[in-house]
Amino acid sequence: MKFIHLADVHLGASPDRGSAWNKRREEEIWETFRRVIAEIRENPVDLLFIAGDLFHRQPLQRELREVNALFSSIPETRVYLIAGNHDYMRKDSLYRTFRWAENVCFFKEEKVTAVKDPVCDVTVYGFSFHHQEIEREVLFGVVPQESEGLHILLAHGGDERHVPVNYRSLSAAGFDYVALGHIHRPNMPARDQIRFSGALEPLDRNDTGPHGYVEGQIIRGRLRTRFVPFARRSYLDLDLTLDEDTTQYSLEEELKEKIREQGPDNLYRVRLTGERSPELMLIPERLKSLGNITELTDESHPAYDLEALCRQYSGTLVGDYIRHFLAMEERTEVEEKALYYGLQALLETGHA
Amino acid sequence: MVINTLKIRNFGKIHDRTLELSEGINVLYGENESGKTTIHTFLKSMLFGMARLRGKGARTDTYSTYEPWENPADYGGTIWFTQEGCEYRLTRNFERSHPVFELVRLTDGAVFTDEEEIAALLGEVSEAVYDNTVSVGQLKSVTGKDLVRELQNYMASYQGTGDTSLDLGRAAQMLKMSRKGFQVQAERRKKELQKEQEKLDAGMDLLEKEMTDLQTKRGRIDEKGQSLRLGENGGDVLLRHIREARKTKAMSILLFGILALLAAAAGLLIGDIRVRIAAGVLAVLLLTVGVIRSRSLEKEIRKRQKLRERWLAKNRKLRYDRSVSDAAIDDKRRSMESLQSARAEIEDLLRKPFPEEKEVEALNLAMETIGNLSGDMNRQVGQRLKNRTSEILSGITGGKYHDVLLDEDLKMSVNTSDRVIPLEKLSRGTLEQIYFSLRMAAGELFCGQEPFPVILDDIFGMYDEERLAGVLRWLYKEQKQIIISTCSKREMDVLEKEQIPFRGLLL
Repeated sequence: MKFIHLADVHLGASPDRGSAWNKRREEEIWETFRRVIAEIRENPVDLLFIAGDLFHRQPLQRELREVNALFSSIPETRVYLIAGNHDYMRKDSLYRTFRWAENVCFFKEEKVTAVKDPVCDVTVYGFSFHHQEIEREVLFGVVPQESEGLHILLAHGGDERHVPVNYRSLSAAGFDYVALGHIHRPNMPARDQIRFSGALEPLDRNDTGPHGYVEGQIIRGRLRTRFVPFARRSYLDLDLTLDEDTTQYSLEEELKEKIREQGPDNLYRVRLTGERSPELMLIPERLKSLGNITELTDESHPAYDLEALCRQYSGTLVGDYIRHFLAMEERTEVEEKALYYGLQALLETGHA
Repeated sequence: MVINTLKIRNFGKIHDRTLELSEGINVLYGENESGKTTIHTFLKSMLFGMARLRGKGARTDTYSTYEPWENPADYGGTIWFTQEGCEYRLTRNFERSHPVFELVRLTDGAVFTDEEEIAALLGEVSEAVYDNTVSVGQLKSVTGKDLVRELQNYMASYQGTGDTSLDLGRAAQMLKMSRKGFQVQAERRKKELQKEQEKLDAGMDLLEKEMTDLQTKRGRIDEKGQSLRLGENGGDVLLRHIREARKTKAMSILLFGILALLAAAAGLLIGDIRVRIAAGVLAVLLLTVGVIRSRSLEKEIRKRQKLRERWLAKNRKLRYDRSVSDAAIDDKRRSMESLQSARAEIEDLLRKPFPEEKEVEALNLAMETIGNLSGDMNRQVGQRLKNRTSEILSGITGGKYHDVLLDEDLKMSVNTSDRVIPLEKLSRGTLEQIYFSLRMAAGELFCGQEPFPVILDDIFGMYDEERLAGVLRWLYKEQKQIIISTCSKREMDVLEKEQIPFRGLLL
């Protein structure tokens, strides 16, 4: 028996609006989902679990037809499907009336129900969101039936407003595997037993790291699961540490090199840290054009010894300026930045 | 503070040299390159150390410039000075790997090895203040126009920053440029998002129109339904009509059959042949009428059946059209919802603060703080500086110029007894005198209570004899420790001529 567990595909989402790659990403989300189905067609699995939020919003008729057509192209695989908080089963949701292909099983109820797989010795449990938020612990007290075979639970949620889950008691409930969705980063509350597959494609810059699906298989009588990276791109954090030898040119080269190393297709959140030469007039926005940069934060500052400068310039404006900021008990981010902006402007524009 | 003795062990090209200074006027005389600047740097380094500060100082690395040619491990010397009535001896070795600092209060033998102590002793005279007031260099500009600007800048800088090396205008410009950069970025992103929003709006307009069209069509279908009359269960009504017609037909067959039968029976019972014939004819007649009647009724039935079938077909079509139309409207409505939520996502992005805003805020805060602090300094220093500069100028010119005036843009002019002369109209000599007055006034204002020595580094080159005599007389009257460094003998000559006591130091 072999299965694939995926979640949070968010078909129809449009990540990084206003960026150059926004439209491409929108298409890639569909494309990657089609690739999963194609992969299953090549290497069939028995079960496909989709743990909610297949759609980013209420699905349209044509979108459901499209997805259903894909499912019916893998007739040897049974597809188990639930609605998450994004594509929740509203009163007029098309999920309520849509006629799925024969190999698709959609859990319509908002409480956990069980379905015996017609081929494998597996009982699948699941529930769908009927509301955007469910603060009830839907999974609390849910236990598998006392029957032979594997018992697999399919669920969406895991935060306070979306079906809070106590993983310890869920682990003790006795399911052989719990396929979870909602949390976008792949995560494993209990080894080989409870997993968040994470979003199939990362959807915003907070979804850093690899994305894909979970593959499960019975090997020598034991269920083994592994994460399979499958996303087209990743959001990655890049930290660049500046020092007194850093120049605009060297920084740009370093960033280019790192992007080349880690993949030019990936989407980067760049953070500058360290102490740079006071003479360097950094132009951070120039870095933004060197790759797919979603965000650039500059936490570096000129390498000034504030105490010493304060002493040296005591009695003059520079001394007063530094003392003004040093006298604050705690500097906010803005104040910290202001201190260095002003200091650099005063010192670097002066006459030698 | 009075500097008593400088003892240079090893500093630049000077080694093992001792200079004894008097409390009054000292003239340090030497040709160019004889080491006057080295002595000034030595004194400053002794007082403030040579730590290579990050920042502006890093550009001119004093340490390596004055590293002794011979014996670099012994890099420094000793000075003796008097401060607030106590005598001190300060010894330093600047050598980086084994720096030595020792400050001894000779009066009671207290030894200090922490460099903070000298800073505490110097009080308000920080390194920057020293550069700006104690050590007076010559004006750098050569031409009149630049000279006016330089002097103007000195005045403005003292008033606004207390530091003539700063340039508030350029600093503000730099901050504004950075701010502009961030604002442009934020603006660009905002525009992108708005463009997308407009695209969505256009899509929604289109959907709206399509929806209206569909609804009109849907309305027409309903109208058609009304024109079919009979309402929803028209099929049943028509069926009832057919049934009734069938009943009528059956009844009429029965009626005429019975009547014909009765006529025939009557004929058989009555013997008269005529009656029999008449009864037979009547029976046949009745049968014929019956048949005709039932045929016509049958036709009516068939007509009604056809009518019903037509009605049913029309109704089926209507229902189909209606459901197709409803589905299409529903689809548009969902598409509309989807666009609406996409639009909400963008609105959300537009509402959230852009990261650039934080930078803009920080830059604004920097500008504002600089403005406020500079304003404070101006309030504390401005008027006093102007008044004291005027006094000194009057003093050294024998009352020829008695007022330095500043307009709103800090443009300077001077007042003679009968007219106001803008700086541009003054001779170089007079500009030099104003400069001197300004520096002296600044020294008094920024150095605090304890008078500090004044080091005048070759600043009298452009003075004619009369001006020089005026300045030197004023200096003597001020009773300060003065170190005049010069490469000409004029200062000493004039001092002797004016019978002003001084100590000459020949390099």
